[in-house]
Amino acid sequence: MAVLGANFASGEFRTALAGSLRRMAIGYSLVMGLGVLGGLALGRFRVLDECLGSVAVAFHAIPGAAWVPLAMLWFGATEQAVIVTILLGATGIVIVETNAGIRHVPPLLVRAARTMGARGIKFFWHVVVPAAIPQIVNGLRLAWAFGWRALMAGELITAVPGLGQLLSGVAKVGRLDALVALMLLMAVIGMAVDGLIFQQLEQRVRLRWGLA
Amino acid sequence: MAAHVEVQHVCRRFAHNSATVEVLQDITFAIAKGEFVCLLGPSGCGKSTLVNLIAGLDQPSSGAIRIDGRLVERPGTDRLVVFQEAALFPWLTVLGNVEFGLKMAGVPSAERRERALQFIKLVHLSKFTHAYPFQLSGGMKQRVAIARVLAMHPAILLMDEPFGALDAQTRGLLQDELLELWRQMQITIVFVTHNVREATGLADRVLEMTARPGRIKHVYAVGLPRPRLATDPHLVALQRRILSSLGEEVAKVSTEEYGETVPLPSDLAPVPVDRTLGMHI
Repeated sequence: MAVLGANFASGEFRTALAGSLRRMAIGYSLVMGLGVLGGLALGRFRVLDECLGSVAVAFHAIPGAAWVPLAMLWFGATEQAVIVTILLGATGIVIVETNAGIRHVPPLLVRAARTMGARGIKFFWHVVVPAAIPQIVNGLRLAWAFGWRALMAGELITAVPGLGQLLSGVAKVGRLDALVALMLLMAVIGMAVDGLIFQQLEQRVRLRWGLA
Repeated sequence: MAAHVEVQHVCRRFAHNSATVEVLQDITFAIAKGEFVCLLGPSGCGKSTLVNLIAGLDQPSSGAIRIDGRLVERPGTDRLVVFQEAALFPWLTVLGNVEFGLKMAGVPSAERRERALQFIKLVHLSKFTHAYPFQLSGGMKQRVAIARVLAMHPAILLMDEPFGALDAQTRGLLQDELLELWRQMQITIVFVTHNVREATGLADRVLEMTARPGRIKHVYAVGLPRPRLATDPHLVALQRRILSSLGEEVAKVSTEEYGETVPLPSDLAPVPVDRTLGMHI
């Protein structure tokens, strides 16, 4: 236990953590932006959905780690490769969930809105998108989990400074205590963000939207 | 006097499993401006379908609906609907909901707010102006739904069993409030219900429909001044007449659903509660 504590307190852990979190922040922001916009586009335009809808599902089906070799081919063993891995591993689910949310607006709300004169763009932005928010939030929450996994895989393989890279490093020199500590840290971060941020957000959204 | 709403030989058929279901058959009636009309009928008789047609949410298979002489082809803000479930937008506050129609119409923000607040006050919900729908009871949600449509000053209000999901006391309160709003705003109301007491308590005329395929079976002119007393013998006599006629239609629906003939309620004998269609004794 004391050894774990010492590991956590060490500088190398802190720098690795900082690196990982920074990469995650960049990658996840891109995932949010591209994913939601992509999902809105697919939901709004049937033609796009017919062409690209299954592509998004296919992307989501490929584990984040499997994207790393390709990313490395494009960008070498660099930060960009890791961020692209996050992007490829997590955007799919955001697109899929956002698209689904857009397509499944409760019919009663659609009828009410249409009778009150909501049409076209106004209808889309003031009724469809807000109605889709619970499902979009669900997609963002899942994307966090997938993105975090993709990040770890990316760092492990590319050896860009971060938690994943540290993990591979300590394993090679047999520092099992540090290994366990690192994995604990990865788990705790994943759970903390999910529980403290996403679950709270989702709970509040579901309450207000009358789903809870 | 020119009719406000004219329904002419309207039929509505649906294709269902390679068969055609005729929901409405040759419906013809007219409603005058400012009139309060109830559509009364057993479940499945097509009253909600008829409301959707008048609202423009659906098109008749044949026949036409005209408002002020113009053909109804799509939804319009001159006729607005209050549904059985309030259909409020959960992400908006009461104020946001009541402002919605005005926002869609492009009314500027200050005027919108003022008008919305006025109507929220009219339905006695000022204290809940900034509350969200999930914080409101069923009756309160329906009040917001009513305020939301009235704020748009429609010429016609279509109400599809709006008080059906509410308890008897709330229903009574809202019925009174609705009559008051109707008097103040002088709009035409088409009110759908399966409740005989509600229909005769509220309407100028009651249009009784048959079981599927829905036709207009009979039109009753209530002709009694408001407020109407439940004990008024004229009212009670009318309710009995309607009830026995409607009872035949309800029996048809029961027979079809349960596959056995259900005895008709006698006009003179005390009517058990489950067949009084709302006339709780």
